[in-house]
Amino acid sequence: MTAAPGMRDLAHRLLTYEAGAAKTSEPMESPSLRVYEKLRQSLGEFVGVVGFQSLASRALTLARPEAPSLSAARVTSDGSLQALGEIETQIDMDKDRAGEGGIILIARLLGLLRSFLGEALTLSLLRNAWPSEAFDDRNSVHGRKA
Amino acid sequence: MNTQDKVKINKLPTGVPGLDEIVGGGLPEFSFNIIAGAPGSGKTTLAHQFVFANATPERPALYFTVLGESAIKMLRYQQQYTFFDPAMLPGSIRFINLSQVVLEKDLGAVLLQITKEVEKSNPAVVVVDSFRTMIRKPESDLDLQSFIQGLALFLASWQATTFLIGEYAEEELHDNPIFTVADGLFWLRQTAERNSIVRKLQIIKLRGQDSVPGLHTFRITDAGVQAFSRTFGLTGHAKNPPSHRRLCFGIPELDKMLGGGVREGDSVLVAGSSGTGKSVLATQFIAEGIRHGEPGIVAVFEERPQAYAERAVSLGLDLETPQKDGKLKILYLRPLDLSVDETMHSILDAVQKIGAKRLVIDSLAGFEMALSPGFRADFRESLYRMIFALTGIGVTILSTVEVDESFTEFPFSTYSISFLTDDIIRLRYVSIDGQLRKIMVVIKMRGGNHAKDIREYEITSKGVVILGERLTNYQGLISGIPVHSDRSDSTEEPPLDTGIERKT
Repeated sequence: MTAAPGMRDLAHRLLTYEAGAAKTSEPMESPSLRVYEKLRQSLGEFVGVVGFQSLASRALTLARPEAPSLSAARVTSDGSLQALGEIETQIDMDKDRAGEGGIILIARLLGLLRSFLGEALTLSLLRNAWPSEAFDDRNSVHGRKA
Repeated sequence: MNTQDKVKINKLPTGVPGLDEIVGGGLPEFSFNIIAGAPGSGKTTLAHQFVFANATPERPALYFTVLGESAIKMLRYQQQYTFFDPAMLPGSIRFINLSQVVLEKDLGAVLLQITKEVEKSNPAVVVVDSFRTMIRKPESDLDLQSFIQGLALFLASWQATTFLIGEYAEEELHDNPIFTVADGLFWLRQTAERNSIVRKLQIIKLRGQDSVPGLHTFRITDAGVQAFSRTFGLTGHAKNPPSHRRLCFGIPELDKMLGGGVREGDSVLVAGSSGTGKSVLATQFIAEGIRHGEPGIVAVFEERPQAYAERAVSLGLDLETPQKDGKLKILYLRPLDLSVDETMHSILDAVQKIGAKRLVIDSLAGFEMALSPGFRADFRESLYRMIFALTGIGVTILSTVEVDESFTEFPFSTYSISFLTDDIIRLRYVSIDGQLRKIMVVIKMRGGNHAKDIREYEITSKGVVILGERLTNYQGLISGIPVHSDRSDSTEEPPLDTGIERKT
């Protein structure tokens, strides 16, 4: 079972937004990590560190079969993600493949949120972490609304 | 500034239907409240309703979760309620998890964390769920008291209305500092009574305003917690002055026996054994009211509204049209686990919606059976409150009650509730000339004179029809086995001088 297309699309939009934002602020950090960190901060506030760590671990487990590049990544006890940025930096020659791993992981995390909280509440929480243009259809690969 | 002016305490809507009335109009603003009760009693849901009713983007609500139910699961379940609006999160309602600081640090650090978040958000509402899990770690009494005192002072100073939620047992009520500090103490109870659950809410304490004392029934539905005040939501309603109007049955001879009809605002009991025509009489009472422009409610417990209306057709009474016209409502109150308060809520709702003047409860036995076993013990007391409340607003109630036919006694009801009623009409079988016939007698009319006659009647296609004159040739009619006395004296009725205006 792969990540739901709607969640992949949403993850892609967030990554695209962060990639654009990174050009001006923190160019060295991977967009996947930036999205992940924002999710950790905003979700961690209400689910707690342990709550977020559990969700992220589950998302990583679900994502690995789809993205072998994530095999070295791991979620630490404070919920942060280790090795994803390194993987993405190392696989310079195949940026698409590395980026795909990040999208799948974020898509899985968003998918978990949606299955627990429903779409409306998930989007409400995401809108608190990202401005509305991050959800713009123009950033969508499929042109679908999230 | 006038030195005589007292401070006005604003009252915030609780968001819980029925609870505003119980707490005296709303929850005092800036109050520091505890919601206590056993697991599953509805504490979190009640707090959520308050939060959703009061949070705004400018003055949000901060909902601190501690240990116990995880926030993600809490939101998963709570969003099933109709009051839950996902769009209010996180702009107006922020959930903040304190488990890390509670697990790793002391109460001082917890207070610091709460302080930081409150100062950052300027909330109107603060909830700590569950407060009990926050203070489970061994702390000295002094630390605990200092923490509670500090929290209460800080949150009040920051103009936040606060709810602390905790699983407390009633034994803890007396020696727990948290209950001393609290301005409001809401206790939720749920007990299993045979096969059903009875939920009760008590406002043990509420500073600054009068709340309705006692235990109030509540229910948790798709819409969240709904409370049913013991005063049935009629607090502050002016009691109608006694009326002198008489309401007829549309059965001329019976109306004559009643001195022109029953007095408006009376509670009438029609008692008799099975098949004596209690429901027929009740239906005629309602139909006659509608004919005179008095909307009516029929609360049925033993049959569906459709069946009730169809039976009326066989008596030549049309109950379908007035239902369509909004002049009649037949309430079928689902059986088995109701409380009187919930039943009353449905009835009052219907009374207010159509401006009902007449109410039929058919029957009290069915009503009692529809109640949860836990409420049956209080049936008489509840019935008293209900009748008092409804007649107080001018509704005339006719209740039917089945009594066991006895040939040695003449009981009015099996409930000993005759003291609750103003008027009693007794129907019974009697053995006359080798036939089982029916007789009717008006036992009591609180509001005036009534005929003392014992009259024979039949149930025909036109309903109850009283036959001939009063039965004078029999002794011991009310025993059911009369003796023919062979009298042939006058059957002329004594004149009734009620001195009361007849309506029809």
